[in-house]
Amino acid sequence: MELLDARRAPLLARPFFEGGDPGAIASAMAHVPEVLDATMPFLVQMFGPSALPARTKELVILRTSALLDCRYCIQSHSIAARDAGLAREEVLALRGDGPLGDQFTDRAERALLDWVDGVAGSTGPVPPEIGEALMSHFAEPDVIELTLLAGTTMMLNRFCTALGLPTSQAALARLAEDGLL
Amino acid sequence: MSEIAEAVGDGVLPGRVWLYANYHCNLTCTYCLTESAPKVAKRELGAQRMLEVAAQARALGFTSLGVTGGEPFLLSYLTETIIEMAEMLPIVVLTNGTLFTRARLEEARGLTGAPVAIQISLDSADPVANDTMRGPENFRRVVAAIDALVARGVRVRIATTAEHIDEHELERLCQLHRGLGVADEDHIVRPILRRGRAIDSGLGVDTDLIDLPPELTITADGAYWSPFGPTVHGGRLDTDLLVSRTTSPLDKPANILLRLVQGRARGDDAKLDIR
Repeated sequence: MELLDARRAPLLARPFFEGGDPGAIASAMAHVPEVLDATMPFLVQMFGPSALPARTKELVILRTSALLDCRYCIQSHSIAARDAGLAREEVLALRGDGPLGDQFTDRAERALLDWVDGVAGSTGPVPPEIGEALMSHFAEPDVIELTLLAGTTMMLNRFCTALGLPTSQAALARLAEDGLL
Repeated sequence: MSEIAEAVGDGVLPGRVWLYANYHCNLTCTYCLTESAPKVAKRELGAQRMLEVAAQARALGFTSLGVTGGEPFLLSYLTETIIEMAEMLPIVVLTNGTLFTRARLEEARGLTGAPVAIQISLDSADPVANDTMRGPENFRRVVAAIDALVARGVRVRIATTAEHIDEHELERLCQLHRGLGVADEDHIVRPILRRGRAIDSGLGVDTDLIDLPPELTITADGAYWSPFGPTVHGGRLDTDLLVSRTTSPLDKPANILLRLVQGRARGDDAKLDIR
């Protein structure tokens, strides 16, 4: 799979390369520029700043990526999670490398992680009691956004895993530095 | 009136839509933008798709068509398809002019009186200089084809692609085409672009968007900014001037192209005389 660089970036993709390497996901999607053009604003909205705290969003993204075993997303979002304020031990627990219960005692975060496990860890409806627990801690619009975030992460998990997208050298160096490789 | 028709009417978008009929060719020219040759991937558009593009182009408000390749006349259905396309919009077909056998010339009678121009490449009035770039016997075959097509009442244009052409050379070439019955307005001279095989041959001028008129170009692999966009280098299709992979319906790439044109810095595309 060729990852397009700035020199080979199609016209609609050029703006995404103006700030330097846009990362493996955008460089792969650039092969279909009209898809990149439509998708990137959506991804920026989903993964960037929004009404939800960055920490809450990273819990969803990293936990979902661990459940779907996406190496690229686990590595990229271990860094994003650390940047959002999560402790190294919390990151390890979300990745399945340590017990979740020991690290996440806040009831709202536990309800959220149970919801994510229900959305991304199985098929079919999420058990109603898990939904009710989530709704007792989060407003309806938050639940909508959190669920869409989990679903969007799942889409990218499969995209990155199926295409075997490589983690950047810079990200690998940072993970090594943090003992998260 | 569609937004595209309005943009064409206002001169914001050129009126011509180009189609890459195929990528394979019986020649292997030193400066070929698409690295065309007999055994390359054909990337054929197909007669049905060519007719669809023509119909959609007319419906959107484009005013003419161009067919290029590769060598389009390697396709058995080409003449018949051109005749049908010309019922929708005027059309220019680019060819190396070496495949006009007696049978092909008979078919070409169907082009007489139709809004079709056959644009044939001829790079020098000197057979040796021409054939060095375009292959053995090219000059003789091309001159014979022009003569035969003109005799059948088909409109012929001559395209000269050259690294440098001095006044004396140009005058010899013009005398030749006039003698063959091709008028001055049907002779175009254009530079070699440093894309495709021209890169490896050390030929041509560098280009970017500012140099190339935004003429919607449809290939089997997607829609491009210009017929000089879907080039091939090292066997790999260039993507830097790709507009979209989606080509149907045609309004989708046309509207993206218009959006790109409207976002482009104003500039002068005349200095390189690329057409």
